[in-house]
Amino acid sequence: MKYLLINGNPYHDHDEIDRYVIRLAAGLESAGNEVRVLVLRDMKIRPCTGCFHCWVKDPGTCIIEDDGREVSRQYIASDHVILASPLVMGFLSATLKNAMDRNIPLVHPHLEAIDKEVHHKKRYENYPVVSFLLEKEPFTDAEDIAIVTDLFRREAINVRSSLGFVKFIDTPVDEVQNALDVH
Amino acid sequence: MRLMFINGSPRGTQSNTGRLMGHFIRGFLQTEGNTCDMEYLTKNRRSLADLAEKFAAAQTVIIGFPLYVDAMPGSVKAFLEKLQPYVGRSDNPALGFVIQCGFPETSHNRYVERYCEKFSRRMGCRYLGAILKGGCEGLDIQPTFLTDKYYQYYNLLGLEFGKTGAFDAAILEKLARPEHLTSENMAQVIPFINQALWDAQLEANGVLDKSFNKPFGS
Repeated sequence: MKYLLINGNPYHDHDEIDRYVIRLAAGLESAGNEVRVLVLRDMKIRPCTGCFHCWVKDPGTCIIEDDGREVSRQYIASDHVILASPLVMGFLSATLKNAMDRNIPLVHPHLEAIDKEVHHKKRYENYPVVSFLLEKEPFTDAEDIAIVTDLFRREAINVRSSLGFVKFIDTPVDEVQNALDVH
Repeated sequence: MRLMFINGSPRGTQSNTGRLMGHFIRGFLQTEGNTCDMEYLTKNRRSLADLAEKFAAAQTVIIGFPLYVDAMPGSVKAFLEKLQPYVGRSDNPALGFVIQCGFPETSHNRYVERYCEKFSRRMGCRYLGAILKGGCEGLDIQPTFLTDKYYQYYNLLGLEFGKTGAFDAAILEKLARPEHLTSENMAQVIPFINQALWDAQLEANGVLDKSFNKPFGS
């Protein structure tokens, strides 16, 4: 299996989630998987400007020449992508959300009906399963978790992936690794 | 009433969000004494902390954005993060949102609306609600009988808001139609959008036959 761990922790000085990602990557690697880790805060990824160049001018390619393209390239080449982020004001970090916004070249502008809703068509044949590894804020409650989990399920549909799991870094690493083996 | 409208569209001054809210603000300003300060996140990208300070000093704020992968664009999230120092202050502004998406049904916006409501509560901002609308991509190629109707609703919402300080529930509900599409609607709407909005642009750019390009391989 090809795993891609995308670390969207924006903080240099708050590294609990970084250490968790490193341990998980090591565990997956020693189990014989191909594992890559991207640390977004060390990459240059400008925000999507909604220009639709990637849909109507040069289909499939973002006009912005920075590391955002590399994230998309590795994303679509993976079987399972794990997005790691602390919750910041109740949602994924802006660092991670910006990188995910840059993934729209991976789908096609055309719409089609999926489960009685309109979504974008696939551009590629296969899309990875997407899972989320999060760190709670002091005030994170069950409602916050329900809100983000629903949003992640929606996002997975729209990038033509499926949602694997949503877990927090208070879960033992081997439990997360077992959850990955299931998918 | 003094309103601050923060346009969070990554397209800045050339956005569907701004076009729709222009009609709201025109209605809002019809009540004597009302004023509106317009801010664009694209212009404040390097000074988000300053904009956060203005937010904290405001009386009433509306934040607008297009739906990006089911939620707020990353640049809007970056601004919301800058509001962290003001969490729970007793004199935070009343806060509302205006969210639109290109998908024809409004239902796509409902999930991030829940986040916006929770965010407002966490901030200690009185939540004004959210103005939600689907079908907002390519406003300039949609038939004017449709867009004129939307614009009129935004105008009426603004007019009422300017008088009462609340979003009129009946207008919100009308604006949100269609909340979902029936299979018959979809059979009509999907081919229309694919052709009139996307294929037309692909063709004009000479890349219609390349629309399914796979630059990262198959």
